[in-house]
Amino acid sequence: MLTPKGYSTDITELSVSAWFYRNRTIAGFDNPARSLYVSIREIVENSLDACEDERVLPDVSVLLHRVSEVRDDLLNSGPEIFELTVKDNGKGIRREDIPVLIGKMLTGTKFTLKQSRGTFGLGGSLALLYGQVTTQEPIEVVTGQRYEPQGHRIVMRLDIETNQPVILEEEIIPKDPDEMGTMVSFQLQGDWLRSKRRIIEYFSQTAIIVPHASLLFETPDGEVLRFDRLIDRLPVAPKEMRPHPRGIDVEMLKKMIEVSRARNLKSFLKGAFQRVGVSIAEEFLSYSNLDSERPPSSLQQHELVSMMNSLASYEKFLPPSPKSLSPAGTKVLMAGVQRLSPDFAVFKKRSPNVHEGHPFIIETGVAYGGGLGAGVKIFRFANRIPLLYDESSDVTHRVVRNLNLKHYGLRQDDPIAFVVHICSTKIPYKTVGKEYIADVDVVRREIELGFKDCLREISGRVRKRERAHKQMKRESRLIQYYQFMSETLSSALDRDVSFSSLFALSGDDDE
Amino acid sequence: MSDTNSEVIELIETVLETLAETIDDGVFPEIGYFGSKKKNVEYSDLEGYIPVADTPSFIDGRKVESAKTIAGLVYGLTRFKEHLEQKMSMSLRDFYYMHKVKRVQDVLKISNQTETNRLINLSERIIKHKGASVPREEFGVVSSPKGTFYGDVTLSDLSGKRLTCNAAGEYGWFISSRPSDVQIHDINIDAAVFVEKEAMARNLIELGLPEQLSIGVGSLFGQPGRNMRAWIRRLSDNEVPILVLADMSPWSLRIFSTIKSNSIELANIRGLATPKAHLIGLTTKDFWWKKGMLNGIEHSLETMSSSDIKCARQNQNIPAISQDEFLRKENETMLKKKRKGELEAFKAFGLPLSELKQLYVNYLSTKAADIDVKLI
Repeated sequence: MLTPKGYSTDITELSVSAWFYRNRTIAGFDNPARSLYVSIREIVENSLDACEDERVLPDVSVLLHRVSEVRDDLLNSGPEIFELTVKDNGKGIRREDIPVLIGKMLTGTKFTLKQSRGTFGLGGSLALLYGQVTTQEPIEVVTGQRYEPQGHRIVMRLDIETNQPVILEEEIIPKDPDEMGTMVSFQLQGDWLRSKRRIIEYFSQTAIIVPHASLLFETPDGEVLRFDRLIDRLPVAPKEMRPHPRGIDVEMLKKMIEVSRARNLKSFLKGAFQRVGVSIAEEFLSYSNLDSERPPSSLQQHELVSMMNSLASYEKFLPPSPKSLSPAGTKVLMAGVQRLSPDFAVFKKRSPNVHEGHPFIIETGVAYGGGLGAGVKIFRFANRIPLLYDESSDVTHRVVRNLNLKHYGLRQDDPIAFVVHICSTKIPYKTVGKEYIADVDVVRREIELGFKDCLREISGRVRKRERAHKQMKRESRLIQYYQFMSETLSSALDRDVSFSSLFALSGDDDE
Repeated sequence: MSDTNSEVIELIETVLETLAETIDDGVFPEIGYFGSKKKNVEYSDLEGYIPVADTPSFIDGRKVESAKTIAGLVYGLTRFKEHLEQKMSMSLRDFYYMHKVKRVQDVLKISNQTETNRLINLSERIIKHKGASVPREEFGVVSSPKGTFYGDVTLSDLSGKRLTCNAAGEYGWFISSRPSDVQIHDINIDAAVFVEKEAMARNLIELGLPEQLSIGVGSLFGQPGRNMRAWIRRLSDNEVPILVLADMSPWSLRIFSTIKSNSIELANIRGLATPKAHLIGLTTKDFWWKKGMLNGIEHSLETMSSSDIKCARQNQNIPAISQDEFLRKENETMLKKKRKGELEAFKAFGLPLSELKQLYVNYLSTKAADIDVKLI
């Protein structure tokens, strides 16, 4: 948008890859430890999306091996070279799309929204680029699509200056028509020692939010982390939706008008946005003093700005549709939380709500007891990916801190896990790092109400269990005492004294 | 003696039998008794503390803690029964260790002797004979007997041996753990003097006072045990005037008050109070009255410590002291003067031994005469 063409001959155009090469910290590739974590994460999430798009239960294997020799001096070890291989059973990639995987930022012309995992919309391509930049090694992709008789294996690299992929090797591999999936293999620089904990945590938490996937991770230490599928049920797929008039900006409006084939503003509004019908379009246009019969392309810059302002201030738009969202669903979340093996858990899904023209749905859960260690823990998920950094800045942390657990008969050191999942076409992240959710009133209220709803149910169950537990303990002690009494009396009086009728008859009816 | 034994065994069996039947019938047992609450005890000038059936307490077998108490009670009673049948006695500590039998320990989880002491106390309150509590001595539970008595009294104790108390050793007779079961054959004394401190009692015996004055001399060894108190009561019941010689201190007032009136905690146990007992010395008048016999050694008095003063203040709330004209005044005077005197003060006169003996004779007969007891 702001390419300063023509100002000076000293300035050259910067390709996307070259830009990334210089500014990779922004995308999270700021040090070898974090880069390794982000790379794995991006590729895994691509794979999960590829499977869910095709409505198959994901089967994702990740292998991370050291390419360089293990150094003896563990303490002073710095970055090393790794080979990362990620294999999935997703929809596969068309032959012609394979080279574009790397180095290209794709923007469609459809202007539709739907929930997806990718943090930056770039998927794994930045990870591949990072790998090439740090190791100068090519990337290998093996992929095949359903119903195709053959798959493809391609080894390629990117020419960073021209931003063009260069194919080094290519072969066609025969395959079964039912087989599908993609395997990406590349080398990258990383720091396993310093990212190990985080990466393993990432897999464990992903296993919770995606319990319908089988995950396998082989670490450079030779350990295998394996999470088997817990539920054969995919979350409802999100639908592609046109944007909501509240969720756009002037630039986007301009581009939408450019590609629109509508002859007048009324049909443009009706066609380009969701929840806008003829009557609302007409009413809005008269509200913003625009002629409904004007061709959209005739709008001037200042008119676009005033139309944008009107879009923001007009109050009669219906709220955006949540059909573009794919909440995990309480059954799936319930299955996922079993990875923590709690005694019991409660999940609640809140009704859809809106923030800045984008719909969002909050799902909350509280798990209690069992395998959970003492103390309150928080698990955060956004669009079905775990958030691992900056927990204490997250709105959820604030909500949990302000909850009065005593009110629910619980204590701070009880084994409790709070789980929150927010899904939205635009998650209200606070910073570019996209690791925590901003404290937005409407979001905070939804999370708070969700947790309170869960806590009420948990508290009932905990109390009931404690009562039953106490009752049982009390009864067993009583039985112990009366057994002792009857034994002692039997031997002292030299006759049988039985206490059995004591508990058969009145064991339960006293408080 | 075996009479009481078999009676008590019968009582215990009745209680055990009742409990067994209740449990057999599928009913949770409930036991009512009168605890040692202040409401259940009254003070009387003539009898000391007496139990009143005012506010009963209940042990409800449906409750866990109460069931534990009943289980402990049942076990304790069977132990008493067996010991009585074998004519064996046990100490409080013995009883505590009987709860360390593995199978008992596993169930009752007794960790402290106060718990088993409480069970004994409860047994005393629950097992009643002719309306009165059966003292633990009759269950065979005796605390280490304490106290001696010297004098011309002939008796048969639990050993069945007949003896005279001035011929039983240097201190005389070591008082039986169950004086109520002692048979008294002959009493040849005009009064019995009970001395708080053993050293003083020994001096009196060594100087031949019992023979000269025809008195009995008992040594309390501090706060008298239950056996000593019961013995004093036995003598009193046999018309022997009881004279008590103790320090002039708040603690000694308590010692005397338990002899005279028994205590609130043990009000349910009869036969421990001797309302006719007299405190003959050392009194505040002995030191501070012009004609006081110890006036000359007033300088020997020691200052009361803070715990002495605290004790005197608490005495003001003990009915047996505060409601007794004489004891109350003694306590008040001590609190005012903040000084105390000890039996050893007689030595502060610095008299030759022959004169010391005369001093003792004079002191005892004068003080006895004050309360109309004539000693020759």
